[in-house]
Amino acid sequence: MKLALTLFGAALLAAPASAQDPGQPAAAVIAIPPLSTPNDVKLADGSSTLAIAWQATQLIATDLRATSELYPVGPDQKDFYSFPEVTAPGFPRWRAKGVKALLTGFVQARADGRLTVGCYVYDVAKGRELGRKGFVVAAADWRRAAHKCSGLAYSSVTGAPDIFDTRITFVAESGSGAARTKKVAMVDSDGTNQLVLTKEDAFAITPRLSPGAQTVAFTSFLGGTPHIELVDVADGRRRSLLSGSQISFSPSFSSDGQRIAFSMLQGINTDIHVAGSAGGAAQRLTTAPGIDTSPSFSPDGQQIVFESDRSGTSQLYVMNADGSGQRRLTFASGWYSAPEWSPDGKSIAFTRRAADGLRIGFMTADGSGAKILSSGPSDEGAHWAPSSRELVFQRTGADGRNAIYRVSLDGQDPRRVETAQDGSDPDWSGVSE
Amino acid sequence: MIARLAIAAAVIAALATPGAAQVRRGSVAAAPQPPKLFGIDLLRQEFRIATGTDTVFFGGSSAGLGTPAKAALRAQAAWLRHHPEVVVSIEGHAEAGDTRDHALAVGARRAQEVRDYLILFGVPPAQLTATSWGKERVAVAGTSEAAFAANRRVQVILVRLAI
Repeated sequence: MKLALTLFGAALLAAPASAQDPGQPAAAVIAIPPLSTPNDVKLADGSSTLAIAWQATQLIATDLRATSELYPVGPDQKDFYSFPEVTAPGFPRWRAKGVKALLTGFVQARADGRLTVGCYVYDVAKGRELGRKGFVVAAADWRRAAHKCSGLAYSSVTGAPDIFDTRITFVAESGSGAARTKKVAMVDSDGTNQLVLTKEDAFAITPRLSPGAQTVAFTSFLGGTPHIELVDVADGRRRSLLSGSQISFSPSFSSDGQRIAFSMLQGINTDIHVAGSAGGAAQRLTTAPGIDTSPSFSPDGQQIVFESDRSGTSQLYVMNADGSGQRRLTFASGWYSAPEWSPDGKSIAFTRRAADGLRIGFMTADGSGAKILSSGPSDEGAHWAPSSRELVFQRTGADGRNAIYRVSLDGQDPRRVETAQDGSDPDWSGVSE
Repeated sequence: MIARLAIAAAVIAALATPGAAQVRRGSVAAAPQPPKLFGIDLLRQEFRIATGTDTVFFGGSSAGLGTPAKAALRAQAAWLRHHPEVVVSIEGHAEAGDTRDHALAVGARRAQEVRDYLILFGVPPAQLTATSWGKERVAVAGTSEAAFAANRRVQVILVRLAI
């Protein structure tokens, strides 16, 4: 009976097919009744606390539906809780529906015009609270508070770091051929609030976020020679990482934000270098003939994984952060490129190049257990979600247009992240407080 | 550098083509030529007509110069030695089937190989800058081998007059 009701609810919500596939890990069903409000207060912008409570509820459901691990039921107006019930919900009716977790909350107007948003997550079977969080935000920033509620629900149920109040930087593209422009942009992880960071120049690639998403390092073509620049997210101020005129590209921050690893040309050789993100001289870490590129620090900052074609084909290598102890990680057929170390340190994402094109995947950090996650033929540039359970990547369509997708590690179909323009080269930030 | 120039001089001397003869007359050591007063577009056209092509192609992920590429570059070097007033940008490209960072490095390597070859044949280094577009400016869209091959290229572009 329980099962039948769950499936009924799932069908109504147009569930992803895989949620019902036998053999797939089942998503935890979470009920999201509408957020409450103690009294409906009109706000300066013409909205009201009740209207925002409803919008926030829908946003939380959308956030959680975008994960493969939580499966939201609702929101449904008839499940409305009164304000006092938010902290004392009844559980039997949710148990009857096979619901595992419950999220309740409220939106309350403050005397200073701001809003208090509170969220509570409960274990339905045990009837106990898993976590609660409260936020005071400007009325216009209710989305951030809703994302924080989504994060509370996700972390409470899965135990993994949340991914909702995070940013994705990417390259916003328009035009085609020689007239194509590529600008560094940033969106919230749900694709909203797009911000363009490089307005002046026409061409930039490979933006990479600093750990707290305050700065983006990217490869600029301003002046005709690719070189690494940094732009402050808050005020758009830009500076070059290096003072020389050599070709440099493929920047990547250490997890403390203090260092940037990157590639720089040395004659016909491309080698990995490292420099302080605040400036200073570059230190050369690799000298092997060939192309060494796409460095990525381990989360503890002790090691760097990178791509090298020193053996004849591109393969992944690991070295200590001072360049010592270089050893090869991948030996399988095909080319392995563009590695990124996961935030939890356990895995390495990569792009595999073979006869059937470019696909993305991941392996354990020791190089074993490689698994391909996308169908190609033009998927590349996998970057980790802060949860280490999902990847964001770029897919080039048959028409040559680029779009951003995200995929969970359990092998479900990738889903598109909607952006206002064509997008490429995504990179996902950590959670900012 | 001295060794390279010596090799270049020897190679130039060994070339018995009409182009090489012109080179000797208009070599760098001779009196500076009068400034050319026509536009860069006209020069570009002249460059293409005189040298056959401004683009050379590569195989696979290689930056090695094949026989047709070398012949084209020797013709370009001969023309460029006559036009010390022109600043040249050597722009390397890679195929869309490559990954983004690797493609940028491959393009840079190809451009550097072309620059070295032009210098070997007597073009002053100061006239030549090398850069890479990676796979960001494909000449032919698509994922066919023909499209990939068309994008594995270096284009020698006359950028501006140095004077």
